[in-house]
Amino acid sequence: MITEVAVRTVELTKRYGGAAAPVVALRQVTLDVPRGQRVALLGKSGSGKSTLLNLLGGLDRPTSGGMSVAGRELDRLSSRELARFRAHAVGMIFQSFNLIASRTALENVELPMIFAGVPRRRRRAEAGRALEAVGLGARLDHRPAQLSGGESQRVAVARALVNRPEIVLADEPTGNLDSATAREVIALILDHVREHGATLILVTHDEELARECTDRVVRLKDGELCE
Amino acid sequence: MRVADMFALPVVALWQQKSRTVLTTLGVVFGAFVLAASLAINHGVQQTIDRESRRGDVLRRIDVRPRWGGQGPAKPAQEIVVKGKMSEAKRRRIHEALVAKQEAEKPGVFLTPEMLQKLAGLEHVQVVEPEASQFGEARFEDNREGLQINSARPDEKPYPQRIVAGRFFNDPAERGAVVSEVLLYRWGIADDEAVENVLGKKIRIAIKSYVQKPGLNVYLVKPVGVPASFDEGGLLSKVREQLPGVIDQLDLTPDERELLRQAAASKSADEEDEPEEYVEEYPIVGVLREPSADEEKERRWWESLGGSKGVVLPYQTAANLFFRVRANRERGVYNATLFIDREENVKSVFEQVRKLGLTGTAALEIIERERLIWSLVFGAMTCVATVAMLVAALGIANTMLMSVLERTREIGIMKAVGAAGRHVLFIFLVEGALIGLTGGGLGLLVAWALSSPAETWVRSLVNEEMRRNLSGAIFVFPPWLLATVMLFAVIVTTLAAVYPARRAATTDPVAALRHE
Repeated sequence: MITEVAVRTVELTKRYGGAAAPVVALRQVTLDVPRGQRVALLGKSGSGKSTLLNLLGGLDRPTSGGMSVAGRELDRLSSRELARFRAHAVGMIFQSFNLIASRTALENVELPMIFAGVPRRRRRAEAGRALEAVGLGARLDHRPAQLSGGESQRVAVARALVNRPEIVLADEPTGNLDSATAREVIALILDHVREHGATLILVTHDEELARECTDRVVRLKDGELCE
Repeated sequence: MRVADMFALPVVALWQQKSRTVLTTLGVVFGAFVLAASLAINHGVQQTIDRESRRGDVLRRIDVRPRWGGQGPAKPAQEIVVKGKMSEAKRRRIHEALVAKQEAEKPGVFLTPEMLQKLAGLEHVQVVEPEASQFGEARFEDNREGLQINSARPDEKPYPQRIVAGRFFNDPAERGAVVSEVLLYRWGIADDEAVENVLGKKIRIAIKSYVQKPGLNVYLVKPVGVPASFDEGGLLSKVREQLPGVIDQLDLTPDERELLRQAAASKSADEEDEPEEYVEEYPIVGVLREPSADEEKERRWWESLGGSKGVVLPYQTAANLFFRVRANRERGVYNATLFIDREENVKSVFEQVRKLGLTGTAALEIIERERLIWSLVFGAMTCVATVAMLVAALGIANTMLMSVLERTREIGIMKAVGAAGRHVLFIFLVEGALIGLTGGGLGLLVAWALSSPAETWVRSLVNEEMRRNLSGAIFVFPPWLLATVMLFAVIVTTLAAVYPARRAATTDPVAALRHE
């Protein structure tokens, strides 16, 4: 049986700063993630987890090495193609929710569909459905400031999943939540992953959560992979 | 991203920052208002100048005057030598002064019948109207009155509309006269029927030949500058004739007597043959009422000399009478108006007139000077408007830059969920353009709204100062003006947004997402 690879990195390296004082965030990371697999990325703060996630999400470019995500060679894509990749292929969830404060829950969820070119009427309907799916059907017109932390993260989850991405990248999505809410949010993400056969890369430093919710645990230490 | 969303996102962003948007837009409103008002008044004033100056074909007219001269002939400049030991600068100054004096000594060029014919023969000249208004005496039945005999063109406004009985002239050389109803009233012809009965009857016009005769003349000027009456003029003519005979009785030295005798003797040889007065008979073809206040403004300056309460002759008929006097034939008329076929030929004809040695005035030249002055004023106003708009643009650039900084995280989020750099760039550019569009529109609206009271004020000012009612609007808003102001406002504000938009577009999403 041939297993399709959703994420592949080959000797991926990311360096910050100038030549005088370089900071190496990732050192020659090579990783294969088959389609549909749920991977937990564990490591201490500064180990390079978020950097790897940003590279996989097309938000940043590697210093060297190659990577293929959802069938696209990201290091070869133009800025415009990268933007299209972010709009269609990946859904990113952040620890700090990253919702636009001046927009309602519905408008925040609509945002990825705007850049994906979805017509307004369909967008509204799908954003509404996505929010209902995360239990916020009654909170469509609320702004982030009017929502609790758990509700805000559920809006962020709805936003990340609304375009039905092949890859879900979650950067400590439960870091700012109490354990009960955290479980609810993780359950929502896992439901989507199972339902759509998506691939999940979950950054966390919660070992228990990693073991319970993912198929595979990958560790990063000082930018190096130690599975 | 769909086009509708490219405009919807900026609208939402502007709406969410209402106070900032309003303040920024106010700057554009002011700039657009000044620009619109400046363009509107410039367009309106240019139109008004054209409209007012085209009343009565004034732009196609050249008023030609004789050049009064000296005894001549003038010495060529190179033959004038300044003698004596002096600096070169002084020699040059004196030489220039002597040359100028020689120029003034050149024989005069007069608007004689021959010269008028020459003018009529110039290319593009349609009509030559000699101004042959003169002082004379009107005699009708037992009535006689010294008055100004005016001349006019058959189509000259506002004469035809002032006719109350009969008609105005059909031809410039028609043998006919139009008389004032006031003159008839003074002569006791008051009833409407009596006025009607005057039509077709003959009026006799007499002019004295003593005016401007060469040699010794006797003049009477009354304290307020009023010239001698017709009878007084006749009397003075008799005194002039008798003067040579009484020179010996005057209290003068022998030399002074001799000088006076020579002066009195310097008559032209055939002067003796000239009758004292010339009288012509013309049928009365029409009766004129006095001009209304508005018509008064259309009147020609010389009409005020004798008022219009007199007699009017067609200009050629009046000139024929005028030129019967020998002195008038030699010295010509004081003014002749040339009517040119088209405005663009006025300058070339005027050039030819100057070459003939005559002087004059073309309204077109004056109007062009007025246009130039107004264009300079307009240029200055436009500069002020442009500066106002540029200041507004700086404000926009600053505000949008602040906005980009404040919305860094939002930009990062948009990029994280799929916005490309060009989307972000476009969003900010559209924000700038929308501010320009709104500000430009409101500026136009304010300019249009204020133009109404301003128009009333300017009109009252013109009426008060010049006793003139202007036709047409002074503030004009043609479609091109609306488009220009809107386009200018949108371009300026969009350009002002370029730098902030580029900064936003090139924002690193990872750094932006970390931005607090």
